[in-house]
Amino acid sequence: MHEPATIPLGRRLLIGTATLALATVVWLPLVHAFFTRPAAEFHAATGVSPKARELAARHLGLWTDPALRQRELDRMRASNAEWDFMGRSFLVWSLANLGLRDPSAKTQYLDVIDRIVAETLELEAEHGMHFFLMPYSKARPYVVQPERSLFLEGEIALMLASRRLLEEKAEYVKPLTERIRIIEERLRGNPLLAAESYPDECWTFDHAVALAAIRLSDALDGTDHSALCRDWVGVARRKLIHRESGLLLSSYTLDGLALDGPEGSTIWMVAHCLQLVDEAFARDQYERARRELGRTVCGFGYACEWPASWQGPMDIDSGPIVPGLNISAGSSGMAFIGASAFGDDAFVRSLAATLDFAAFPSRKEGRLRYCASNQVGDAALLYAAVVGPLWERARTGGKR
Amino acid sequence: MIFGRLRRFKEWLRADFLSPKDLVLRALSISILFLVVHVTGLRDHTAFLCGTLADPTMSWQWAAFLGCTYLLLYFAFVLLVPILLLAAAASAALHHRLERCCR
Repeated sequence: MHEPATIPLGRRLLIGTATLALATVVWLPLVHAFFTRPAAEFHAATGVSPKARELAARHLGLWTDPALRQRELDRMRASNAEWDFMGRSFLVWSLANLGLRDPSAKTQYLDVIDRIVAETLELEAEHGMHFFLMPYSKARPYVVQPERSLFLEGEIALMLASRRLLEEKAEYVKPLTERIRIIEERLRGNPLLAAESYPDECWTFDHAVALAAIRLSDALDGTDHSALCRDWVGVARRKLIHRESGLLLSSYTLDGLALDGPEGSTIWMVAHCLQLVDEAFARDQYERARRELGRTVCGFGYACEWPASWQGPMDIDSGPIVPGLNISAGSSGMAFIGASAFGDDAFVRSLAATLDFAAFPSRKEGRLRYCASNQVGDAALLYAAVVGPLWERARTGGKR
Repeated sequence: MIFGRLRRFKEWLRADFLSPKDLVLRALSISILFLVVHVTGLRDHTAFLCGTLADPTMSWQWAAFLGCTYLLLYFAFVLLVPILLLAAAASAALHHRLERCCR
C-alpha cells in the first residue's frame, strides 16, 4: 500500500483515533440492514414462510434419518432430558400448524406427527415419566400421589389435540380425554388450581400449555371447561402476579409460595397459550413482557430473562446471559413465539435479524438449522414461524 | 530467492501504528483468522451457547473454548473489519489532503 514515508506520530494517532471513532459511529447502526428481512419471511399470515419451510425440511429430515436423529437426541439428552420431550412437542404443534397452512403436504406431516406421538407414548409407558424429566424429579416424592407431572400431561394432551384438529384420529380420542380428565382432577384438587411438574414445583408454563390443550379438547369434543379456565385466570391474577412488573411468576409451590419470579423463557409461551383462555389477560401479559423484557439495539431485537425488578439465577431455561445487555438465548428464542402470535411484526423483524446475525444459520440442501441452537431451540423457532392456524381453528370450534 | 521474497514480504508487512496501512493489515489478519476457523468448522461449536455440545465426545471446556474462539473472530470480522477499512480509507484521505495543504 502506498502511503507517505513518515507521518508525524501525533498526527497519525489523532487522525487514526478520530477516523476509528467515526467509522464505528457510521458502521454499527448500519450492520442490521444486512440481516433485516420483512417479518413475512419468518412468519407469514397465510401459507408457509420461506424460513418455516427450510426449518421444517430439516426437522422432517431428522425423523426420516434415524442416525441423524439419534445423534441430535444424544446431544440434547446429555444436557437435559426435558429438551428431548419439548423438541417432540414443539415439532408436533408446528407440523399441525403447517398442515393447516399447507394442506397439500398434510399426509407427510400426519405421518411424522403419528410417529412422534406413538414413540413418545411408548417411551413414557416403558420408562415412566422420569425419562423426560430432569434428574431432580426423583430427589423427593411428589406431594400429590400417584405422581404425575403436569409438564408431560399438558404437552402430550396438546400434541394429541393438535393432531386431532389437523385430522381426526379415533384412537387418540380416549387418550386425550383421559389426559384432560387427569389434568382437571389435579387442578381442581388444589385451592390454587395448581399441579406439580416436579415435586412441589408448579410451573406457569405447564399450566398455560395444559389450559390450551383443554381448550383444544373442548373444540374437538364439545366439552366445556370454561369455568375451570376462568377460575385459573382468577387465581393467577390474584396470587401469581409479580407485583412490580405485573408479569406472571414462573414457578411456585402447591401452597402458592413463589419460587421463580417472571422469566422470559416462560412468559412469552404463557401469553401465547393464554390467548385461548383469556385473550385480554394474554395480551396484557404479552405487552408487559414486551415492555419489561424486549429490547432493540441498533436494529437488533432480543429479550432479557428477567425484568429490572427481579433477578433470578442463570439456569438451563435462561441459557447463558450476555453481560451488560442481559441478552438471554432462552428468552430471545421464546420471544419469537410471543411476537408472532400477537402479530408484533416490528419485533419479529428485529428478532429475526439477530437470529441471522448471531445464531449462525447453516443451510444444506434446503434444510436450515442454527449452529448456536439445538433441536428443541430450532423446533421452537419453527413453531413461532407457523403459529396461528391451530389456535384459530380451536376458536372456531374445530371448524375452518 | 525465497528468503529474499520472504524478507521483502516482512518489510511490506511493517506499518506505523494507526497508519492507514496498519489498519488495513489488521483487518486482513482478522479476515484470514476468521476464514481459518470458519473453514475448519468451528461454527458448529457455538452450540455451547444453548448448553449443547456439537460433539458429545468433547469436553465442555474444550467445546466452549472453540465456540468462543469462533464467536470472537466472527464478531471481529463482521463488526471490526469494516470499521478498520472505513477508518483506513478516511484516514488515508485525510493524510493525503493534509500533505497537499502543507506543500
